[in-house]
Amino acid sequence: MTRFLAGHRPRVIIGKKIAPYVLLLPFVLVFVAFLIVPMIYAFNLSLHKTALVGGTRFVGFDNYARAFVDPNFWSGVWLLVRFGFIQMPIMLSLALAFALILDSGLVYARGLFRIAFFLPYAVPAVIATLMWGYIYGPAYGPLAQIAAFLSLPKPDFFSENAILGSIANITIWEYTGYNMIIYFAALQAIPADLEEASKMDGASAFTYAVRVKLPMIVPMIIVTIMFSIIGTLQLFSEPYLITNLARSVINSHFTPNYYAYTLAFTAQQYNYSAAISFVLGAVVAVFSYAFMLASNRGTR
Amino acid sequence: MAVITLSGVTKSFGSVSIIKGVDLSIGDGEFVIFVGPSGSGKSTLLRLIAGLEETSGGHILIDGTDVTDRGPAERALSMVFQSYALYPTKTVRQNMSFGLEVARLPRAEIDRRVDAAAAILKLEPYMARKPRALSGGQRQRVAIGRAIVREPVAFLFDEPLSNLDAALRVDMRVEIAKLHRRLAATMVYVTHDQVEAMTLADKIVVLDGGVIQQVGSPMELYERPANLFVAQFIGSPKMNVLPASADGRAIIVPGGKVRLAAPPPAMIAHLGARPENIVVTPPGQGDIDGRVDVVERLGSDTFAYVAVPDAGVLTVRIVGNDVGIAIDQPVGLAFDTQRLHLFDTRGQAVPAAAA
Amino acid sequence: MGIVGNTVRSARFRRSRWVLTAILCVYLVYTLIPIFYVVTASTKTNADLFGTFGLWFSDDFHLRENLVDLFTIQDGIFLRWLGNTFFYALTSAIGAAFFALLAGYAFAKYDFAGKRLLFALVLGAVMIPQTALVIPLYLLFSKVGLLNTPLAVILPSLVFPPGVFLMRVYVEEAVSDEIIDAGRVDGAGELHILSGLTFRLLMPGLATVFILAFVAAWNNYFLPLVVMSTSDQFPVTVGLAIWYASATTGSGGNLLFTVVMAGSLVSILPVILAFLIMQRFWQGGLSAGSVKA
Repeated sequence: MTRFLAGHRPRVIIGKKIAPYVLLLPFVLVFVAFLIVPMIYAFNLSLHKTALVGGTRFVGFDNYARAFVDPNFWSGVWLLVRFGFIQMPIMLSLALAFALILDSGLVYARGLFRIAFFLPYAVPAVIATLMWGYIYGPAYGPLAQIAAFLSLPKPDFFSENAILGSIANITIWEYTGYNMIIYFAALQAIPADLEEASKMDGASAFTYAVRVKLPMIVPMIIVTIMFSIIGTLQLFSEPYLITNLARSVINSHFTPNYYAYTLAFTAQQYNYSAAISFVLGAVVAVFSYAFMLASNRGTR
Repeated sequence: MAVITLSGVTKSFGSVSIIKGVDLSIGDGEFVIFVGPSGSGKSTLLRLIAGLEETSGGHILIDGTDVTDRGPAERALSMVFQSYALYPTKTVRQNMSFGLEVARLPRAEIDRRVDAAAAILKLEPYMARKPRALSGGQRQRVAIGRAIVREPVAFLFDEPLSNLDAALRVDMRVEIAKLHRRLAATMVYVTHDQVEAMTLADKIVVLDGGVIQQVGSPMELYERPANLFVAQFIGSPKMNVLPASADGRAIIVPGGKVRLAAPPPAMIAHLGARPENIVVTPPGQGDIDGRVDVVERLGSDTFAYVAVPDAGVLTVRIVGNDVGIAIDQPVGLAFDTQRLHLFDTRGQAVPAAAA
Repeated sequence: MGIVGNTVRSARFRRSRWVLTAILCVYLVYTLIPIFYVVTASTKTNADLFGTFGLWFSDDFHLRENLVDLFTIQDGIFLRWLGNTFFYALTSAIGAAFFALLAGYAFAKYDFAGKRLLFALVLGAVMIPQTALVIPLYLLFSKVGLLNTPLAVILPSLVFPPGVFLMRVYVEEAVSDEIIDAGRVDGAGELHILSGLTFRLLMPGLATVFILAFVAAWNNYFLPLVVMSTSDQFPVTVGLAIWYASATTGSGGNLLFTVVMAGSLVSILPVILAFLIMQRFWQGGLSAGSVKA
């Protein structure tokens, strides 16, 4: 038998050892340049103070000490906590219910519903806010028109009491379909023989969905709750864009991100703004971690 | 002449030691099979030979050259994978020629080898197809074809038949045996199926816990297992083992005595008897008594599972199916004293003829 | 439904089928109302927008005029915004998806020092508030003179951690270790294995990450809002938001709500279309992953 390799020693230039580093290089480069470096820079900013007289000087954690007792910041956090307790349960339970219904195969036109519900995700938050802003409009909005037609009092979607619900509605509209698709994909991955087994056990489609399938996608539900917590605490675009319609209730520190934005770009307080951002990051981490602990305990 | 030689090969992943020092030589044209339970290190050992894993210690020689530090493509070996690992986006022909293209062989030479392999494996009608358009058996043949065209020093097979259904597995087993004869090639083969091991191998290597337990021809392992592990691993149904001790010209086992022509070695601790070396007798007339627990009739053979107090359930093989025993029936069991296997307290085989 | 007597033909099955379909239809109406409102509003005159019922068309079909206004106001700046958005989103998404593919592949198929730490860092990046990044980016870009250039929007968008996570999961599913080993035995180098043997298996995953990155970049608002300062560099989100604000406060003079509505409609159509077309592609592709017996 002729020996295969005589004179044909293959040239392997990049081997198993260095390949992962070569593959990671592009991502790590942009990750470091546009994420790590800005973070470090921001952290450095947050440790300094710029005054009109005397320029920039190192102040240690003074900005953090100020942030920790800043009522403007904490009122924003408190608002988002209340917001989250309204918005997340509604959005995620709707998403879950729709995913279970679609996955059960019990409805007509599944494909249509799946794509239609997902569509709002493709609509930029800016445009979604703008569309709903018109619909909420007190003078010409269709909801006000319907109320006038029915001789009902004009609904005020931008009042002190209603504003949270109005913004929650926009985010529910935007992200319910996205979460539904995530749940749907997880449900589709459940092997079909489980359904057959549950049928043999006499379970109805509803019992199967709630008692068998639902527990199997709990890890996915936990992930979506985590992402929702993170997204909620970073709320910015919707309230920012709706400010003009609701000047009296949306102030410059309505949400923490809004506050940091105003501090940086209206008040030019970059140092304090950076500190606020980091405290917000810490709040996000604390909430996420607390939720992880709670869900670990719950599923154990 | 040895084509593949392993000396003192070890492998650990972190602090976990998978291969604990293996010495082995595989001769030219030999069909060597690695068997062992899962976690025994048999697949790791094959991957070490292939160069897909790096050794932690020791040396691997192929054709007299130390290849320990060489990559998998530089060892002149071919490998057939459990899932076949065909490239899904390439046709059968492209799958088979890829390795030769990487090695920059001339086009004419590539075509010659691929066509020859296709003829051997009867793959000509499928050369333009993608793997997903092939049946399991055809994919298996493509995987073998890809191995053949490299004209390797040796073929490595990693459980190649375990994804096939039972009937196809028998066919492919026969085909691989024919291929081995036709190519007169060295083959190293990993399986957990001992029927494959017994039927295909010139030499079986039994592994457990990263250590070679015994190397030998299938019949050597069956007739003269070196220890309890090999004794129970090779053979189906597995060998019966009872606690035992020597007593003059007899061996004491739970519930009775086995009388021998000569006194057994004093250090024995276990007695092993294969199912076909035990005979069912009327109660009281054998060496020990028991009660029939389960009877399995396979047509050609019948397996009787006999519960013996303090010794567990012994398996007895009886030729034919009209054996006239029923469940719960009390029976006696007599051992064929010419074919007993004796082991000491460490589980090592003790020659019965020591006395 | 099997032995409990709830078969496909049973009355009970049909009843629950209609009830569930009706429930979904209610939500379907809710989903489509804002989009439908934008459609009707962009066909109206500004007077009709206030004078006629919002959720139906008026007699005066004004879509063509609104579109003409949309593309001519302020010397046709809207078209420029659309072009900017398309350019920013396309370059960001191509780069982000490609980098994510390479990184995800490395995480899925290799062991290397620092793997766990690096992956944890990438995942942890989702917790960083936008402002924490955008403000320092603004200051850094101003130092190197990148403010108000396309790179100021594109470069940060190349970092797309969810893409890395998705690609890692996808590679683990779609590419078996044995295929890579087979490539090694065949003598291919690691990068050759990726480009020649496994890349096409990863196309559906790559398409998914591409479209997610594309939508994220298309919808991006905060970053361009901060780093872009002149109108000719705005993406459509920032531009429309400014028009919207001036229409709301009445400061824009000739800026009409109907034009803003028409602009909204025009700017969401490409993303929706991309989604519909691409959806087919990646849904079909997902099942065709790897050949396994």
